[in-house]
Amino acid sequence: MFLRNHWYVAAWADEIGRKPLRRLLLNEPVVMFRSEAGQAVAFEDRCPHRHLPLSMGRLDGDVLQCHYHGLRFSIDGRCVRIPGQDQIPPNAKVRTFPVVERYKWIWIWMGDPAMADPDTITDFRWLDDPNWGAKGAYLHVKANWQLVVDNLLDLTHLAFVHETTIGNAATAEHATVKVTRAPNSVVVTRWIIDQEPPPTFKKVGGFEGTVDRWQIIDFAPPAFLRLDVGATPAGTGAQEGKRVGGIGMRNLNAITPETETTSHYFWAQAHDFDVKNPEMTNKVFEQIQTAFWEDVEVFSAQQRNLDLMPNASQLDINADTGVIQARRVLSRLHDEEQAALHVSAAE
Amino acid sequence: MSSQQSWQRIAAVSQLRDDEAFPAKLGEVPIALYRLDGQVFAIDDVCTHEFALLSQGFIEGRTVECPLHQAKFDILTGKCLAAPATVDLNRYAVRIEADEIYVSVEPQK
Repeated sequence: MFLRNHWYVAAWADEIGRKPLRRLLLNEPVVMFRSEAGQAVAFEDRCPHRHLPLSMGRLDGDVLQCHYHGLRFSIDGRCVRIPGQDQIPPNAKVRTFPVVERYKWIWIWMGDPAMADPDTITDFRWLDDPNWGAKGAYLHVKANWQLVVDNLLDLTHLAFVHETTIGNAATAEHATVKVTRAPNSVVVTRWIIDQEPPPTFKKVGGFEGTVDRWQIIDFAPPAFLRLDVGATPAGTGAQEGKRVGGIGMRNLNAITPETETTSHYFWAQAHDFDVKNPEMTNKVFEQIQTAFWEDVEVFSAQQRNLDLMPNASQLDINADTGVIQARRVLSRLHDEEQAALHVSAAE
Repeated sequence: MSSQQSWQRIAAVSQLRDDEAFPAKLGEVPIALYRLDGQVFAIDDVCTHEFALLSQGFIEGRTVECPLHQAKFDILTGKCLAAPATVDLNRYAVRIEADEIYVSVEPQK
């Protein structure tokens, strides 16, 4: 299941340059590159002539030349030259995708281009806000994109998968959890009060005693998860909104389906303390990266079992509330998208 | 109200909020208190479908929706209103004395 009429992250901005990059998005081949002026461009990665990936070709100014028979395409997708032929047929063009560069990411619209409104891009301002330090990475995940969404909406797993970094027993056993929902969002708010900080928080926050820790998970479809996380010394009033003497971070996640069973995972960690210190930014990043590599192992192991037994039932537990509400939002949006497709097909 | 009816103190009225259930134990039984329009109601907290705590679910008007599988129950009566659950919840009589909430240990028939 894919949702098409949404913005997705296609790449980190610094991945795209003058060398064409091929990436499969929602099961469709896409090639991305920059024009001479630096504008990011995305084509379907298939020459309309004999289907060779255009990413095997080369850029010549603002023209992408196919490696096979040398057809040349300008950045608007039009064929501008066919070797040995004067006339260019009007259907000689390659499909282009709307692209926006924002928050150090390249965003792409894989659905109906008429609906591509950049104002609907999910807010990830922490990635380039000077009041925050931030560093991110790309992970290739051998699992369906929804498994990653599930993971970030149920943080009880931190106690078991990430006990050397961001988790400890208190993360699962002593959290009060509140789930709120709106038509297109789910927010899971977890408070872990007066408990031992996990290893990462000791390392980067220098806590000595117990802490009040928050994890506020904001889900926006199809697969954006922005986690407001942090801790302050216990009893100093964080739950009442007084966040002083501690650390605050944003864990930022954008998942883009590659195929039904593989995903592109763009993530970053932003921090609001010692923001101008690249060593701190690296330290925070490395802690979370260790945890995320552990998650990637979990995802692929889950997917292997799902591939073997796709119809096996699964048990739901109390911690699944956020996961289930998000899946309902996605399922409803998918139904709405499919219904709209059938209406337009009938017209 | 029968003279043998026994009551357990559960909470103070001031601990309750309109938009949130208050989970508690009545003896060994998980129950939840709800405050609607100034009135307090007590019903079982475990969904009759599978083991989910309804106090972690969603209050909409006078109904509560299970956090997991969307079964719905009437907060006032405990009546099951939506699948996949089919069995009603027990409801319990509530008595308020000087800001203290007492709940009958036996469910109401």
